[in-house]
Amino acid sequence: MLAIEMLKENFPDEIIEEGESAGQPYVVVKKEKIVEILKFLHEKPELLFDHLADLTAVDWLGKKTPRFEVVYNLFSIRNRELLRVKAQVSEEDPRIDSVTSVWKVANWFEREVYDMFGIIFNGHPDLRRLIMPENWQGHPLRKDHPLAVEGESEWQDYKELKERVREFAQYDWYHRIPQGQKDVTESPAGEQEETNATSA
Amino acid sequence: MAAGASHFDLDRFGIIFRASPRQADVLIVAGTVTKKMAPIVRRVYDQMPEPRYVIAMGSCACSGGVFRTYSTAQGCDEFLPVDVYIPGCPPRPEALLEGLMKLQQKIRSEHNRWGSFR
Amino acid sequence: MPQALEIIKKQIGEDEWDEPYYVNMGPQHPATHGVLRLFLELDGEYITHCDPIIGYLHRGIEKLGETFTYSQNIVLTDRLDYIASAANNVGYCLAVEKLMGLEVPRRAQILRVIVCEMARIASHLLWLATHALDIGAMTVFLYCFRDREWLLNIYEEICGARLTHTYPCIGGVRLDFTPHIIEELYKFTEEFPNRIPEYETLIDVNRIWLKRTKGVGVISGEKAVNLGLTGPSLRGSGVRYDLRKTVPYLIYDELDFEMAVEYEGDVYARYRVRMKEMRESNKIIRQCLDKLAECEGEPVIAENAPGLFMPFDKPKRPQAAPHPKKVYLIKGVEVPVVPEGDVYVATEVPKGELGFYLVSDGAGHPWRMRIRAPSFVHISAIPDLCKGQMVADIIAVIGSIDIVLGECDR
Repeated sequence: MLAIEMLKENFPDEIIEEGESAGQPYVVVKKEKIVEILKFLHEKPELLFDHLADLTAVDWLGKKTPRFEVVYNLFSIRNRELLRVKAQVSEEDPRIDSVTSVWKVANWFEREVYDMFGIIFNGHPDLRRLIMPENWQGHPLRKDHPLAVEGESEWQDYKELKERVREFAQYDWYHRIPQGQKDVTESPAGEQEETNATSA
Repeated sequence: MAAGASHFDLDRFGIIFRASPRQADVLIVAGTVTKKMAPIVRRVYDQMPEPRYVIAMGSCACSGGVFRTYSTAQGCDEFLPVDVYIPGCPPRPEALLEGLMKLQQKIRSEHNRWGSFR
Repeated sequence: MPQALEIIKKQIGEDEWDEPYYVNMGPQHPATHGVLRLFLELDGEYITHCDPIIGYLHRGIEKLGETFTYSQNIVLTDRLDYIASAANNVGYCLAVEKLMGLEVPRRAQILRVIVCEMARIASHLLWLATHALDIGAMTVFLYCFRDREWLLNIYEEICGARLTHTYPCIGGVRLDFTPHIIEELYKFTEEFPNRIPEYETLIDVNRIWLKRTKGVGVISGEKAVNLGLTGPSLRGSGVRYDLRKTVPYLIYDELDFEMAVEYEGDVYARYRVRMKEMRESNKIIRQCLDKLAECEGEPVIAENAPGLFMPFDKPKRPQAAPHPKKVYLIKGVEVPVVPEGDVYVATEVPKGELGFYLVSDGAGHPWRMRIRAPSFVHISAIPDLCKGQMVADIIAVIGSIDIVLGECDR
């Protein structure tokens, strides 16, 4: 593929691996010059990967040594080609440069990756949590995060809400029924009577 | 949504969608309630005037459905007093109508809620 | 800054204008099509900054997908874009099949195209209904739902569900069409082209509609590509990018249809694109029905298709050859094993480009299931689309890019 050949010429030291998966070419690069590499692919007139289709990350806990991989799926609308660029990010230093200067769409993709994996993007204009609440503990899509969070480790605000609801429940109508009066909702006879009334 | 439109037409039962919780009698919780959304749903419920009722529409609102995950509340009855549960993912419009009928039945059989004469 | 605003500023004095006005829209606002929350910074009635806040419908589908098997995940894809779920199913199945190297029978491919295009019409009808309702045209809502119900009834006959179909499965589709469905679809394709002019007469000559859509939310083609817009929102800005044409999948390269493109880039142009697309989809369904007659009685599921979703009438299914790879057991049930590797497959769903990025480590469930949702990207473009517009126009802009929050938050 032309793009990989040109990358090899211009960034010989950066490329770790190249290959093909299910007919789609990919290239694994070091993270230091990621912005230069993507800018090169974006702006070179014969390549013109102008559409950043997807930006995500993969957690390879227990499978590969640099734990994270940030994956860029690039598409060239004119040449109709797909190229996957993967940058390796280690667990100790989960930082990579932001590509928001090249594609504006990367803004939210990077915020989502930060939210879900805890990878920090240097130079991002507005790096906050996107999907999870601001005070959420942990990064859900990491492999060591549990699927269901319940009991003690529950989100603080949700625990408070449940407590408040328990407090409010005593003011509910069901609890204010005067003593001695029967709650007719429970008796099947009353319901039966009403059903007949509706059908008639 | 289809229940309110031309084919099923909720209006013929005297049930009309209101834009504000302050004018509403019943809150229909449609779809999954996440933990992030739960305080807001509760606030909408708190804004409603008594007497008020809640319908949980859909499996996800009833029990969480397939989504037993970190971000989903396992049923909106964790923080709301639910009157009618409508299962199905999503329930058919007929099921929603049936649920509303059941709620009307329930309201008819209640005493002392709408006033001392009933 | 408009001139009138300048004059008022001079009269009142600069100092009092320093503080912007903040408005919170949502998340239970009915006009935001779900639980989208917008935090607006206003200068008078003009929007100076807009911050969409999402995540109120985040159910953790990507995390859940890592614990489900490949076949079970089809059910989760239904819940992404619940308005056009057949298109999501097909996109996911294509990704898994590409990873496994499965060949899908021709009849199944045609059936998949039919359900996809039906989903496109159904989705665009719902979009038109709600968009018109938001802007103030109530009648269109009732008319659109009339036709949408017709389509949903056909869906119900195909697979038994109105919204969440799970009709395609890995290696094909679950069931063949009955003659009655084909007859009904012929009737629909015959009638539907007459219905579109009905909607157009309702709103195309309506002065309010034109005033509220023309010149609102304008975006240039180059900027739209940079912002990642896809689908009708991108084609409304004059970029010729439709995955059915650029990277044809299924049998789209054999079909005769046009790519709907408009050049103004405003809300009205996006409306025109969707109206054109409905006509083209109708044409596609018609052609597919004719093609279906050519391959009558052929199988609709691949011979070596794995799967938990067996076709309902087992005798008709061709004798299943044993799957070449070793079988992976989860709770005593055989599930397909997918070879190692990763794949990104994008399909053109009604909202835009839906991509599935699957990473397999050779086990029975995906190591990572990433969903590139068009609505997610479109919502991230709202600040650029509505900057400098009036507050009321933001409803038109949100409506025009056609978002579904279930897909955005996942």
